[in-house]
Amino acid sequence: MKTPPKTSPKTPTETPTETLTGMPMGTPSVDVPAPRPPRESVAPPVPAAPPGTFRLATGGLSVLVPLRPLLAGAVLALLLVAVGTVCLAVGDIAVAPLDALRAAVLGSGSPRDLLVVEELRMPRIEAGITVGAALGVAGCLMQTLSGNRLATPDTVGLNNGATAFAVAGIVSSSTSLLPSATALTGAATAAVLTLALSGGAGQRGYRFLVVGLGVGAVFGAVTNLILSRARIDAANAAFAWTVGTLNSRSQTAVTVLEVGLLVCLPLAVVLGRRLNVLRFSDAVATGLGVRVRPLRVAVLLTSVVCAGLAVAVAGPLGMIALAAPEAARRLTGPGPVPVLTSALAGAVFTLLADLIGRTVMAPLEIPVGLVTAVVGGPYLLWLLLTTRTRRTP
Amino acid sequence: MKPVNTMTEARRLETASLTLAHGHTPVVRELDVELPPHRVTAIVGPNGCGKSTLLSGLARLLAPREGAVLLNGRELASISTREVARTVGLLPQSATAPDGLTVRDLVRYGRQPHQGLLRQWSKADAEAVEAALDAADLRELADRRLETLSGGQRQRAWIAMAVAQDTEILMLDEPTSALDIGHQLEVLEMVRGLAARGRTVVLVLHDLTTACRYADHMLALSDGRIVAQGAPAEIMTPDLVRALYGVESTILTDPVHGTPVVCPTALAVAPEPASVTSEAVPAAT
Repeated sequence: MKTPPKTSPKTPTETPTETLTGMPMGTPSVDVPAPRPPRESVAPPVPAAPPGTFRLATGGLSVLVPLRPLLAGAVLALLLVAVGTVCLAVGDIAVAPLDALRAAVLGSGSPRDLLVVEELRMPRIEAGITVGAALGVAGCLMQTLSGNRLATPDTVGLNNGATAFAVAGIVSSSTSLLPSATALTGAATAAVLTLALSGGAGQRGYRFLVVGLGVGAVFGAVTNLILSRARIDAANAAFAWTVGTLNSRSQTAVTVLEVGLLVCLPLAVVLGRRLNVLRFSDAVATGLGVRVRPLRVAVLLTSVVCAGLAVAVAGPLGMIALAAPEAARRLTGPGPVPVLTSALAGAVFTLLADLIGRTVMAPLEIPVGLVTAVVGGPYLLWLLLTTRTRRTP
Repeated sequence: MKPVNTMTEARRLETASLTLAHGHTPVVRELDVELPPHRVTAIVGPNGCGKSTLLSGLARLLAPREGAVLLNGRELASISTREVARTVGLLPQSATAPDGLTVRDLVRYGRQPHQGLLRQWSKADAEAVEAALDAADLRELADRRLETLSGGQRQRAWIAMAVAQDTEILMLDEPTSALDIGHQLEVLEMVRGLAARGRTVVLVLHDLTTACRYADHMLALSDGRIVAQGAPAEIMTPDLVRALYGVESTILTDPVHGTPVVCPTALAVAPEPASVTSEAVPAAT
């Protein structure tokens, strides 16, 4: 009855890759007592950190830093600085990149440079970075939550809800009712509607996605209805809110978004460890000691807040929430859920799209939302055509 | 493999008049069972008898409708999920993993209940992962991606994840379904090894002969109730097989291991009156 286990069958063996250990406090590696008769060699020493990670430890505390995501993050951060510098320098009034950087970072330079950089371009870049980061995080969380790469704030109706409310606000009142406030209300309304109709975050979030599509379609129709019945000047004013732009942002909304990010980003990172487990089935996650329902609710709320605040700044900026996490996942590999990498990728994409929109047909400006749609559509197709079929994520 | 500390008293998992339901339909009714520590317990019974439901209940995936699951006398529902996860490991049926994970990545997830935001990787974690890889005989495959493995190897990797969790009690829901006999043996021998090192293992199994061969203790379920429980050699009779499956059978003795071998011969003519209701005995295949 208790025969020794069969040896594993006919598979080519790979030598275990050398582990990358980077322990400042070098804990001596320990031999595992071999539980069974060793085959051809003694058990190798226990690696201090799993392959591809870097362990920081002091006392009883330890943090595991995955190397590839770290590298991806560093590359994206550098890219962000580069794109940001170009954004500061390029425009109707050209500023030398180094001067622009100096004006932005040190606040020194000629008065003209300072005016252009600090007053005109910095706020816009700030808005672009925060909006992109928020959308990236929101998309990453929602995709992980539902186990579906198509589940993003745009697809579950948040963007359309925000647009419908903002447009309704602009069209219905001559006084400038703060569009970003109405947009935020709209995003929240769409989220609540979707949540209520789909009966909570639900199993695997599939129902949530489908209901979100429906809610989004209804809000989209409402927007079109309002626009078709509005006076032409009101419709014109409302147009910006139907495409997504960084041009007519409100500084208050940007500040609110920044506060939101300050709360949501650390929260997303803290949730991130358990979020990794959420990619398995609920049963596996529970077996590993994760309370699935509260976690789902927390992740969903974080995602909705990020997306709602971002939409309140820039309008329904499409595709970022879809593309950024996807790019992040490709860069970081199959390790942890790339929350921060998605934020960085989102920021880079948004800045880049805005830069293209500002320069390609200068002095005419293309709203960033149109750029992301034009670039994002083919990207989505490419994504669908190039990824191999996968099992349930 | 680090042996589970047998000096302390073994954790006992038992149910007290446990009723489990899916929606309004009770699936498991007023069950009182106890899992013998350091032994392999197999839950057997016909399709839809509540085997997996019982396991879900024992693993707190399903909250009791009435009664309770008790871990060392404490109600399971009152203990934090994380704490339970340090005592009870679970491998659900047909579990799937995100793409691209290596065996070692998967096994590492088993350490989740022992880790925290600022305690992400300790020596104990490293040792438990290596020990689990050894127990599953997967050291050579540790850096292979899961999708490149055979079914049996992949299943062993999943069990290794549950083993790395280092729990005294381990629950496996049909760990051998969809595996050929070679791969079944791989998995079941591994299970025996775990019990030999002091773990309490609960399995849901389809095949009676396999269950008799590998389990020390058997729970035979029909229509959500226990029909028989005890050592396989003692409880496995033609009457039991008829009551469970509506099948006439001859019970032989395994010439090598001395365990019962169930040899079905024909469908029973009429359902045994003892077997509760007629719908409890679906036509056997």
